Amino acid sequence: MTKTKPLLEARRVFKGFFGNPVLKGVDIALEPGRVHALLGENGAGKSTLINLLSGALQPDKGNVVVDGQPVLRFSPAAAREAGIAVVQQELSLAAELSIAENIGLGALPRRFGLIDYRALSTAVAEVCERVGLTEPLDMPVGDLSLGRRQMVEIAKALFRKPRVLILDEPTSSLSAHEAGILAGLIRKLRDEGIALLYISHRLNEVQALCSHVTVLKDGVVTADQPLAGVNDEGLVRLMVGRDAGDLFPAWQDNPVGNELIGLEGFSAGMARDVNFRACAGEIVGIGGLVGQGQEDFLLGLYGAIPASAETAQIAGRHRPLKNVEAANGAGLAYVPADRKHEGLVLPHSIASNLLLPSLGDLVKHGLRDRAAERKRVADLTRRLTIKGDVGRPVQALSGGNQQKVALAKWLPLDPSVLLLNDPTRGVDIETKREIYLMLQSFAREGKLVILLSSDTPELVHLCDRVAVFREGRLATMLPRSEISEEAIVGAAMGLSAKGAAA
Amino acid sequence: MTVTRVPANLYTAVQRRRNRGLTGLYLVVAAFLVVYAILFPGLFTIGGFSKFTQNWFPLALVTMAQALMMLNGGISLAIGPLVSLGAVIAAVTMGGPLGVLGGLLAVSAAGLFIGAATGGIVAYLRLPAIIVTLAGSFIITGIALLLLPRPGGYIPDWFSDLLAGHTPVAFGLLVLFLIGWKVYLATPLGIGIYAAGNNPVGAYRSGVPVERVKVFAFALSGLLAALAGLFVAAQTGSGDPVIGTPFTLNSIAGAVLGGVAFLGGRGTMRGVICGSLLLSVMINVMFFLGFPPVAQYVAQGLIIVGAVAVPQLTSQWRAKP
Repeated sequence: MTKTKPLLEARRVFKGFFGNPVLKGVDIALEPGRVHALLGENGAGKSTLINLLSGALQPDKGNVVVDGQPVLRFSPAAAREAGIAVVQQELSLAAELSIAENIGLGALPRRFGLIDYRALSTAVAEVCERVGLTEPLDMPVGDLSLGRRQMVEIAKALFRKPRVLILDEPTSSLSAHEAGILAGLIRKLRDEGIALLYISHRLNEVQALCSHVTVLKDGVVTADQPLAGVNDEGLVRLMVGRDAGDLFPAWQDNPVGNELIGLEGFSAGMARDVNFRACAGEIVGIGGLVGQGQEDFLLGLYGAIPASAETAQIAGRHRPLKNVEAANGAGLAYVPADRKHEGLVLPHSIASNLLLPSLGDLVKHGLRDRAAERKRVADLTRRLTIKGDVGRPVQALSGGNQQKVALAKWLPLDPSVLLLNDPTRGVDIETKREIYLMLQSFAREGKLVILLSSDTPELVHLCDRVAVFREGRLATMLPRSEISEEAIVGAAMGLSAKGAAA
Repeated sequence: MTVTRVPANLYTAVQRRRNRGLTGLYLVVAAFLVVYAILFPGLFTIGGFSKFTQNWFPLALVTMAQALMMLNGGISLAIGPLVSLGAVIAAVTMGGPLGVLGGLLAVSAAGLFIGAATGGIVAYLRLPAIIVTLAGSFIITGIALLLLPRPGGYIPDWFSDLLAGHTPVAFGLLVLFLIGWKVYLATPLGIGIYAAGNNPVGAYRSGVPVERVKVFAFALSGLLAALAGLFVAAQTGSGDPVIGTPFTLNSIAGAVLGGVAFLGGRGTMRGVICGSLLLSVMINVMFFLGFPPVAQYVAQGLIIVGAVAVPQLTSQWRAKP
């Protein structure tokens, strides 16, 4: 079994924060020429394990082992020297620096103490070629879309010619096309003998790329085995100890009510000439490659960016909404994808975040009504199963729980239209499921849910209809009977002629 | 497969991109220069040019000093006091046994040391630069007053004549400083400022020695401010423990005019030099137009707000569908 020697290992590592154990004796071994999947829900200890493997943190007990030798004082510098590169979820790029400078940062070739731009440009051009970055190398990274920045981040890791490459949810902001390039690249690196650790919440990717899996649950390894013969359901069972059939709740056919949104020739930002109708009780999906105008479409609907239309009917108003206040008044609520910056006030408590949109109506004698506020917070946390002290700052919560707070805060306003921008990005499976059930219950209550998602299976399993955007236009509207992953991805790539004129 | 477009000369291409968007600033500076040249044709004589660049020189240095701090994501409130201290040290030491050279070394050492110490506190103790330099400004002012309680000291006449006489020596020195700055920004430590200012965590993870980058930049910033003080001492022929005070806010104004962002990681050398030039010309033009000093401040403030607001508004206007 273990003929090849692992390049990087963690042996019985323990790590806790403030007396709170996160890893309780975890083993993992990364072998050359193998793509190793690391699965686990948020809070299972994946990030901590990555930080140990890359030297950003030190284990309390146990060892990190490089080439069979335990390392005593591991640091990011030592990890780099040992050929370990990490592509983190949060980007490490500087917006003002060019693509080339960013890729070389920290390992810039120099001549006479100065940066050797000529050597840099040839070396960078080579890695850019590999990851399919065609933008000019002198372009500032700040001008790139999130997905392209992610590709720069990957190029940056490759630039250091790693022997071990750790990828933490590399595809969460990539389009299907970019994810495809990345998959090809990962296979190539694997064949070159690099040890890869791949973290993703997308099981189909894990299935397609990885040959070995380590599953973490509550800081303990629950499985460390080859992936062969394990299907999606099996993976989910390993992660949550529950059947996968439950991941997506069964699709429900809800009675369709009044038309809540009716648009002809609607334009906002990148979205152009969109004709779109949606009714109460529907879950309408919005798909497509990243950055094809989907987000601008939602923001335009919500009045957050200027929009125009030939004819428009949005929740009873007969023109595009002017601003967010008007949209809230009309019964629209928007949950942004970037919950850390746009959705939540991170240093504030869970309670005050939950109260923020409805602060105005819990008033007694012109002052805040603390008792009513407490009641509302208690009510919301119970409905959304947010556990623990509501006085904690939101930033102390895991990604999934943060998302729940970002969603829950709108419920007291009882919105009739919910605009959701990638609500499950970076969210663990358990919370994903809770969010799915929540969306279905909204639809059942007669709300209209518009779900923008980069996770295609999500659109397939939840939506009554899916609108696929391409180059700013609504390329295809798939009815329930035609929704499939193939159809959505095909339309996004412009493959389907059918409905392209819609 | 598409082939990645590799610019023939990456360095120039990168610089060109980084400096795009400065055209407006160039035009405004040019316009002010034209107005100034019409009001004061003497600008084109050696003497007039020398005087003009001598007024500009200390402002250019402190703007560069402030820009270094702002690129790091902080702001310095100690620039003015450092200028004063530089002037005081120069006036106190130049009469000493080591003469002018000794004074120059003492001023440089003080600037570098204070800058590095501030940078060390900011980088290693992770305190905000604005607070550390606020505290520093009191301490530095105090030291300057202790060294020289009232204006005085000694600056040799030949030294004053050399720097602030009728020859454009100051301009030549400025060119040297600019070359030095350009070289510095072409080193890994120099470029590290952009990364450390814009995304410190990312820079750390990429292997940029963030702390060292900061300490180095702060030290250089201190050096520039102290040397500006030395120049001011040469200009006035004596040391004055509070002469630098207006430079703190003027350095921020110059950097802002030059397009240096408050949040760090954004700004260019060309912008900084144009910003300080614009501020300097502005003050001169208003002086020649006979603005009362109070009106000058009001006009200066309005122009600065305008300089920040206009690019913002034009980019918003462009973004509209």
